[in-house]
Amino acid sequence: MNVLEVSALNKSFGGLKAVSDFSCTVEEKEIVGVIGPNGSGKTTFFNLVTGFLLPDSGSVLLKGNSVIGLPAWRITNSGMSRTFQLIRLIRRRSVLENVMLAFRAQPGENLFNVFFRSGTCRKRECQQREKALGLLDYVGLSKKADEPADALSYGQQKLLSLAACLASDADMLLLDEPVAGVAPEMLEKIVSVIRDLPGEGKSVVLIEHNIDMVMQVCHRVIFMDAGVKICEGLPEQVRNDPRVLEACLGR
Amino acid sequence: MAYLLHVLILVALYSILAISLNLISGYAGLVSLCQAAFYGVGAYTTALLALNLHTPFLLNLLASVILAGTAGLVVALPSLRIRDDYFVMATFAFQVVVYHLLNNLISFTGGPMGLHAIPAPRLFWITLSGHLGFLILTVVLGALIFWVARRIVSSPFGRILFAIREDEVLALARGKNVNQAKVLVFMIGAAMAAVAGSLYASYITYIDPTSFTVLESILIISIVIIGGAGNLWGSVLGALILIVVPELLRFVGMPGAIAGNLRQGFYGLLLILFVIWRPQGLLGDYSFQKVKAGK
Amino acid sequence: MQQLVANGVLAAAIYVMVATGFALIYATSRFLHFAHAVVFTAGAYFALFLATRIGLPLAFSVLLALVLSAVLGCLAELVVYRPLRRRGSSPLVLLLSALGIYIVLQNGISMLFGDDLKIIPGLDSGPSFTIGLARVTPVQIVTIATGALCVVATAIVLKTTRVGKMMRAVASDSELAEISGVRAGSVILASFAVGSVLAGLAGVLVALDTAMTPDMGLNVFLMAAAAMILGGVESIPGIALGALLVGLTQHFGVWLLGSQWQDAIAFTILLIALAVRPQGLLGKRAVRATA
Repeated sequence: MNVLEVSALNKSFGGLKAVSDFSCTVEEKEIVGVIGPNGSGKTTFFNLVTGFLLPDSGSVLLKGNSVIGLPAWRITNSGMSRTFQLIRLIRRRSVLENVMLAFRAQPGENLFNVFFRSGTCRKRECQQREKALGLLDYVGLSKKADEPADALSYGQQKLLSLAACLASDADMLLLDEPVAGVAPEMLEKIVSVIRDLPGEGKSVVLIEHNIDMVMQVCHRVIFMDAGVKICEGLPEQVRNDPRVLEACLGR
Repeated sequence: MAYLLHVLILVALYSILAISLNLISGYAGLVSLCQAAFYGVGAYTTALLALNLHTPFLLNLLASVILAGTAGLVVALPSLRIRDDYFVMATFAFQVVVYHLLNNLISFTGGPMGLHAIPAPRLFWITLSGHLGFLILTVVLGALIFWVARRIVSSPFGRILFAIREDEVLALARGKNVNQAKVLVFMIGAAMAAVAGSLYASYITYIDPTSFTVLESILIISIVIIGGAGNLWGSVLGALILIVVPELLRFVGMPGAIAGNLRQGFYGLLLILFVIWRPQGLLGDYSFQKVKAGK
Repeated sequence: MQQLVANGVLAAAIYVMVATGFALIYATSRFLHFAHAVVFTAGAYFALFLATRIGLPLAFSVLLALVLSAVLGCLAELVVYRPLRRRGSSPLVLLLSALGIYIVLQNGISMLFGDDLKIIPGLDSGPSFTIGLARVTPVQIVTIATGALCVVATAIVLKTTRVGKMMRAVASDSELAEISGVRAGSVILASFAVGSVLAGLAGVLVALDTAMTPDMGLNVFLMAAAAMILGGVESIPGIALGALLVGLTQHFGVWLLGSQWQDAIAFTILLIALAVRPQGLLGKRAVRATA
C-alpha cells in the first residue's frame, strides 16, 4: 500500500496559484526527493499535506485514510511528521526535552493522569527518557542531551529536528531542506541517518536544493516549478530531462 | 500585629492570583487581562452562597472554582482563533462585561452597594474569625495551589504549555493539541483565581464590583511580570513586593486621598520599568517575546 | 427614538475621533497603544488647567491642549515605545508598557486634579436646539460635525498628501517603505502626534458637553477600539461605520435594557466581532492566529 497518496492538489493565494493539480504517491520504505526553484510551491505542498494549510481541492491519503481538513496535530499523530525550512525548536529547553516533546501517547499530557495516576506517568516518563537518549545516541547527539537546543550548531539543530521527527514514531517523514546550509561533516551524518530510514520501515519525502545529495539519497525525484509537477522519475532521468533543464536555464 | 497579619494575608492572596495568571500568561504565554473577572466570580459565588444558603466554606469554594472554570472555558474557546494582541483586547472586553454584570444585576449581586456581612469561613466544626486563623487558611490553600501549579508545569502537559509559548507551530507539528491545552490552562488559572476570590470575600466580609475591575487585572499581570513570568516563586516574590512596598508608604505619611493613586502609580511605574529593563522579571525566564523561527 | 439616534450619533462622533487616531497609530506602529485612553483624558484636563488655573481664553486653551496632547503621545513614543521597538520587542511587550503608561498617567491626573467631576467653564453654550424630536446642544452639534470632519479630513490626508502616503506605506510594509526612503520612525511619530490630537480633541469636546473624571478615558477608548476592530483597522469608512454601529447599538441597548448596560452592550458586540470576524466589517488584513 502507498503510504502517501496525493491527488490533484490545488491551492491559490489571492490570484496566485501556489500548487496546481499536484499528484504524487510515496510507497513504503521509499525516499522521494522534491526539487525545484525557489517559490515553486514545494513548502506549500508540505503545508497542505500536513494540515497547516487547507487545499482548495484535491485529496491526501495517509495509509489509505484521508487527512484533508484534519488539524495538523492530528495528522502528526496519525503517522506523518515534518521538519521546517526555518528550523523550529524549543530553544530554551534542552536537546533531550525537545526530543521528549515529540513522543506520542504520553500519559502525562493528560492532567487527570498527572494528578491521579502519577506513578504511571513517572514510569512512562522514565521509559521515554531512555528512548530519547537512545535516539540521540543514534543520531550522534547524546553528548549534548542536557544542553539547551540553542547551544547547538546549525547542523546539529537540523539533526535534532530530525531526531524529534523520529521520536514521534511516524512512518511518513517530510523533511524540508534537511541539509541546506549545513557544514560538510554534519551533512554526511544527516544523509546517513536519512539513508537508513527505509531500513527502519520509514518513508521520506524531502525538499532540497542540494542536487548531489538528492541524487545520492533518493529513490525517486519529483521536479516542481510554479506549483506544477513538471516531471518525475529516477534521479538520473529527472536530472537529464529537457524540461527540467529548460526550467532551470529559463531562470 | 493584626496589621502585619493583614499584610501577610494580602500577600498570600495575591500570590495565589499571580500564580493563577502566571500559568496562563507566564507559562503558556497567553497574555490575559481578565483575571480579576475570575477573581470576582469566585468572590461573589462564595459570598452569595454563604449569605443565602449558609453552606460551609469548602463547598462554596468548590462552587466558586467550578463556576470560574466554566467562565474560563467561555473566554478561551472563542478566543482560540484570535491573534495575540487582539486576544488581549478580547480578555479586556470580557473583564469589562463581567464588571458590568456584577455592577448591574443588582437583585443578584447587590450592584454597586455590594454584599455585606459575608460570614466568616466555616470549615467543618471551626469558624475562622481571627486574622491568624485566616492567615493559616490562606497559606494552606496557597501552598496547595503552588503545589498543583508546580505539578502541572513540570509534567509533560507543562511541556506542551512551554512549547505553545515558545513556538506554537512547532507544538502543532509535534502532535500536540494546542487548542485543548490553551483552554485547559485558562480554565485552571480561572479556577485558581476563584480560590483567591473566595478567600477574599470571606476575609474582608464585604465585596463590591470596584475590587474586580480592569485595573485589578493589570495589577495582577504586573505582579506576574515583575516577579517573573514562568517562575512560580517569582509570583510570590512579586506579590510580596507589590503589596508590602505601598504599605510602607503609609508610614511615610501620605495623605489618604492620594495614597490610593500613589499605590497604583507605583504599580504602573514599576511595570513600565520592568518591561523596559527586565521584562523577564526578577526570577522569570520569559519576556513575552515571540522568538522567530530559524537562527 | 430620535433622541436615541441623536445620542448614538453623538457617541459615534466621539468614538470615531478616538478610533481614527488609534487606528493611525496602530497601523504604523503595529501595536495597541493603550495609553491612547489617557491622552483623551489628558486633553480635557489640559484644557481645564489652561482655562481655569492659568486663565487663558477658552479657544486658546483648547488649541494649546491639543498641542499638549500631541506632545504627550509623542513622548510616550520617544521615551518608551521607540527604545523597546529598537530592541526588537514584540507588540505584546509594547502593549504591556502602554498599560503601565496608562496607569501612571491616569493616577497622575487623579492626584493633580482629584477624582471628582469637573467641567470646563466659560462656555456659554446657549439654548439647545431641537431637531425633530431630539434635543441637541450646540456643543454636541459641534462635536458631531467635528467627528465627521475628522473622518473626511483623515481620509483625504491619507489618500492625497505626501505624509499620508508615507503613513500608508509604513502601514502596509514598513521594511519596504524604509527601502523606498521613507523614514518609518518619523512617520510613526507623526501618527502619534496626529492620533493624539484627535484623542485630545475628543476629550475636550466631551468635557465641554458633560462632566469629566480622570477615568473617563478608559471606557471611551475601549468603545473606540471596538469601533476600530469592528470596522477594520485599514479602512477609514469602516471605522466610521464601526463607530456608528457601536454608538447606536449602545444607546438603543440603553433604551431596551437601561443605561447601566451601555458599556456591557458595546463590549459584548466587540467580543462577538472578534470571535466571528476579527478583521472587521470592511477590513482586509487577517487577524486570525496563524497556523
